[in-house]
Amino acid sequence: MDRLLLLLPTTTYRTEDFLDAARTLGVDVVCASEKPSTFEAHAPDHLLTIDFADPDAAAARVAELAARRPLSAVVGVDDLTSVAAAAIAERLGLRSNALAAVAAARDKYQMRQCLAAGGVPIPRFRRIALKDDPFLAARGVAFPCVLKPLALSASRGVIRANNVDQFIAAVRRIGALLQRSDVEVGGDAAQFLLAEEYIPGVEVALEGLLMGGTLHTLALFDKPDPLEGPFFEETLYVTPSRLPVAVQRAIEQVTASACAALGLAEGPVHAELRVNDGGPWVLEVAARSIGGLCSRTLRFGTGMTLEEIILRHALGWPIASLTRERRPAGVMMIPIPRAGRLGGVRGLEAAEAVDGIEEVTITAHVGQELVPLPEGWQYLGFIFARADTPDAVEAALRDAHARLVFSID
Amino acid sequence: MSDDLKAKVQDLIDTMINPAVAGHGGFVELIDVQDNRVYLQMGGGCQGCGAADITLKSGIERLIKEEIPEVAEVLDTTDHSSGTNPYYTAGKA
Repeated sequence: MDRLLLLLPTTTYRTEDFLDAARTLGVDVVCASEKPSTFEAHAPDHLLTIDFADPDAAAARVAELAARRPLSAVVGVDDLTSVAAAAIAERLGLRSNALAAVAAARDKYQMRQCLAAGGVPIPRFRRIALKDDPFLAARGVAFPCVLKPLALSASRGVIRANNVDQFIAAVRRIGALLQRSDVEVGGDAAQFLLAEEYIPGVEVALEGLLMGGTLHTLALFDKPDPLEGPFFEETLYVTPSRLPVAVQRAIEQVTASACAALGLAEGPVHAELRVNDGGPWVLEVAARSIGGLCSRTLRFGTGMTLEEIILRHALGWPIASLTRERRPAGVMMIPIPRAGRLGGVRGLEAAEAVDGIEEVTITAHVGQELVPLPEGWQYLGFIFARADTPDAVEAALRDAHARLVFSID
Repeated sequence: MSDDLKAKVQDLIDTMINPAVAGHGGFVELIDVQDNRVYLQMGGGCQGCGAADITLKSGIERLIKEEIPEVAEVLDTTDHSSGTNPYYTAGKA
């Protein structure tokens, strides 16, 4: 029986879906987290604790385990685990991207250097040291610009600045964010941030799978809510895209060029791009699949999930089809409107009664401290829809969201 | 047969499973055993926990199957969305 190592942070939304996929495939699963499981002593060959932030140590720890019981594949489920997964795979000779490529994709500055060197269209960018005087650092920056931490995801800490005053405030706010106890970044990511040109236009997300260096587009999502700042909260994802086919092809080509420039060749890719009259511009390319519970919008072939495709690819198993079902689908990541504690949720039945809505999942728990962007990184929950057209999907998601009432104390 | 199986599972929950999950403020209740399927409910720190699936599948189910080989599957009936004090809370990354 094939033996699969899943890197599952205790903070990921993805555990259930990846474990379900592994169960469907019938593989023997080993789960690694950054904090110990209560059952680790009972199942030391199936549960282990590793430091995702120390890929070398993680690889050494897993190599000990694999020496006793060999592993067939390793899969990191998100940004936090992607580099450790690549280090482990490299050490054990398993299918994966090169460690250097994944590390470059994980660091927004390194990523942009690689993309620029590869001739990929990206915003002009600069790295800013947090210790520098922000007033002086703002000199030479064209406005509007967008400031970003080097290693956070889900739009956390991403702030638009239209002038020097906003730039200084944003730098200080990101600096404070990086000091929070729930932010674990080290090295350059703790000392620098990125300032890049604001690119106007519509935003899309491409979900893909790299196989032997070839990018296969699994889904292209429209993000119909305007993302113009000052923060960039992702809400709606709708697929298939309503952009003209020629534009979609251009997005795919630019994303493939970005992957090649980074040296990514195997496994899932999640790319975010802006599109305007100048064509597609790459904002981010991550060596992982879509975050949150959003993958539940996707089904392939005769019902295969995205997680099953990722695991099959890592294991070297055949994949019958990479073609997404034809029916349009979408998800709303329910944003946190303000800080406070969640007191309760009303309107769930009404939201689920909206035509086209498949499921409303509230992931925040009553009593949970809610932190909105740019400091926050969570959602209240997710709404899923399928309908005959992308417009109908979008309308259903908006209607369902409008019926939900969150009590925040 | 089912009552006997239930008693074995309950004993395992009392002696091994609950002492383990208690470390994270959690507990597990046996809801039923039908056709060699064990139905459980998780509470306390396990309810809504980001690692609840790992605990269930790689910890609890593995342990139950090792100790009681006639068990075919362990299923979670917990309403995790109602958990008010999960040990780990998920976020998008």
